Amino acid sequence: MSNHDHHQHGTESHAERHAGVPEAKPVPLMSDDAGSRALSDALQSSFFIVKILMVLLVIGFFLSGMFSVGPQERAVILRFGQPLGTGEAALLGPGFHWAFPAPIDEKVIIPFSQVQVASSTIGWYATTPEQEAARTEPPPRPTLNPAVDRYVLTADANILHVRATVRYRITEPLQYIFGFTNTAAIVTNALNNAVLFAAAQFSVDDALTRNVTGFNERIAGRLSQLAEQQKLGIAVEQVTLASVIPPRQLSERFRAVLDASVRSGNVLNAARSYANEAVSRAQGEAATLVAVAQSDRTRLVEAVQSEAERFKKVLPEYKRNPELFMSLRQGEAVQRVLTNAQERMFLPTRADGKTRSLRLDLGREPAKPRTPPASQQPPKEDQH
Amino acid sequence: MKKNPLNMTIGALLIVIFGLVMFLFQVRVSEVAVVTTFGRPTRPITEPGLYFKWPVQRVHKIDNRIHNFESKFEEIFTPDGFNLLVMVYAGWQVSDPAIFFPRFGGGSINDAEKALESLIRSAKNEVMGKHPFSDFISTDATKLKFTVAEQEILTKVQEQLAANKYGIEVKFVGIKRLGLPESVTQRVFERMESERQVLVSRIEAEGSSLAERIRADANREAAKLISDAEAQAIRIRGEGEADAAKSFSVLNQDPALAMFLQRLTGLEMFLRERTTLILDQNTGPLELLSRPAGAATSGRTSGAATQ
Repeated sequence: MSNHDHHQHGTESHAERHAGVPEAKPVPLMSDDAGSRALSDALQSSFFIVKILMVLLVIGFFLSGMFSVGPQERAVILRFGQPLGTGEAALLGPGFHWAFPAPIDEKVIIPFSQVQVASSTIGWYATTPEQEAARTEPPPRPTLNPAVDRYVLTADANILHVRATVRYRITEPLQYIFGFTNTAAIVTNALNNAVLFAAAQFSVDDALTRNVTGFNERIAGRLSQLAEQQKLGIAVEQVTLASVIPPRQLSERFRAVLDASVRSGNVLNAARSYANEAVSRAQGEAATLVAVAQSDRTRLVEAVQSEAERFKKVLPEYKRNPELFMSLRQGEAVQRVLTNAQERMFLPTRADGKTRSLRLDLGREPAKPRTPPASQQPPKEDQH
Repeated sequence: MKKNPLNMTIGALLIVIFGLVMFLFQVRVSEVAVVTTFGRPTRPITEPGLYFKWPVQRVHKIDNRIHNFESKFEEIFTPDGFNLLVMVYAGWQVSDPAIFFPRFGGGSINDAEKALESLIRSAKNEVMGKHPFSDFISTDATKLKFTVAEQEILTKVQEQLAANKYGIEVKFVGIKRLGLPESVTQRVFERMESERQVLVSRIEAEGSSLAERIRADANREAAKLISDAEAQAIRIRGEGEADAAKSFSVLNQDPALAMFLQRLTGLEMFLRERTTLILDQNTGPLELLSRPAGAATSGRTSGAATQ
């Protein structure tokens, strides 16, 4: 461009030189000159703009390689179709990154630490999304149509409806993204297979009530195993059994079994409480029996001992004069007895020496504090 | 006129880019490719990267990832006379683009899946036709042939693929759904219903018989406790009597005195409380009331009543 400039300048100065001497045709020459100058100016500035634009384009081209990776994402750069680096090293973490623009590099963004969810598709009877949303369901028909109704078969050849959900993480993003056309579908099918496999080993009662945890674990175990065998690049976090139900056609029957279990449990509880009561009552009685025997024993031994003591004490005295001793003792005893007696009556011998008959009216009223003695129930005297 | 280096550079760059487009192509990590010369496949490419070709050659890229194939839900017949509906899924991928591309109309995935479908169907029918229904459902893990059957289908399909040169590899096969024909579900329901009834009566019978046993056990235990205690009581009393007998030997020194003392004690114990005594004149000290002192010998109570 500069040579063009120079050329133009040359013509211009030449024209000026001529302009001073012959005054013949200055105006057309002057106007011609100004036109070309304007043209050249215009060209000059447009070329300049083009230059700027090109520089901007180049800058823009390279800047277009900038991209950002979110906190839950990883990115892989494919240079000429091949991942840069292998395994973990190929993954770009969150932040800004730069890659050559297409077609040299291609950037692939991968959801990484987000937990993915897949639900089984083989265990539930036919419903529509609208019914699901409204939490209603179509009335059960007498049969299950294999075209629309889904279910699993249990080990005892029963039919069961199951809904399972798996939460999983992508642990090998390269495998997850480049290994399968539709990894989510493969994971779903692996879950379906696991549900089927687990159901095939559990009886309907185990899967429904007795061993729900075992059923769940069997599904999770099988799913993890499949994920590893098939190199899905995922880690199973949790398998949830959203619902496991018997066929709705039989829900009444299944409820009846539950009711029977409850009733049977009540009967058992009643029997157990009866047993506890009977045994503890018997224990109490037994303890009483033993205690009474023990106290009888003590009393007997003590009584005999005290008697022996007394005997030993009085023996010397008795030996001195048995007659006197016995008489004195008897007298003392009779005296004590007579003194302590509540009522005392003297019944003299009849004059004719015959025996008297005595009628006693024995009152049965409860014992009372010592109220006026002798007057209440005087024995009647009669003679025959 | 001076040559502008920038112009030159741009021109050269354009030529290079044009050349690159004409002569080079990329194969992505998830793809394989086959290069055809005048429509004839001449070069398969199974590794990703940048490759050279002549402008007359064309490149056909084929998705090399594992595809998810699902069979139809079809009826098979088990040797023990069951009709089972089975659906399997499989993961397959293109293993040899040079074979795959010409075989399936320019690398059509759909055509390949159609071929695969008939292969898998025949393998499935053959394998499942060998296993009785009980191989697919069993509480006994050793009798369950679920995974065995899957493996057999896989092996059979792989053999067929190898024999027929499809350029396809099947990575895994799994059973996705098992079902019964609609009419059979009705019969299953009837059976389940009767099973439930049996279960109800069994639960109730078991419950009441267990309850009976619990009661009977408790009664027996209670009776045993009591009889044990009675035996113990007898033993204790016996021991007491044995202990007491030791003291009796003292009394042997003078039985007459012992018996006298015993009688005295007995008398006092007997007449201790709330006693009404009716005495005649021959009794104890009362004889003094009617006779002169010294006339009487030992008296007797003629009657006593205890209330």
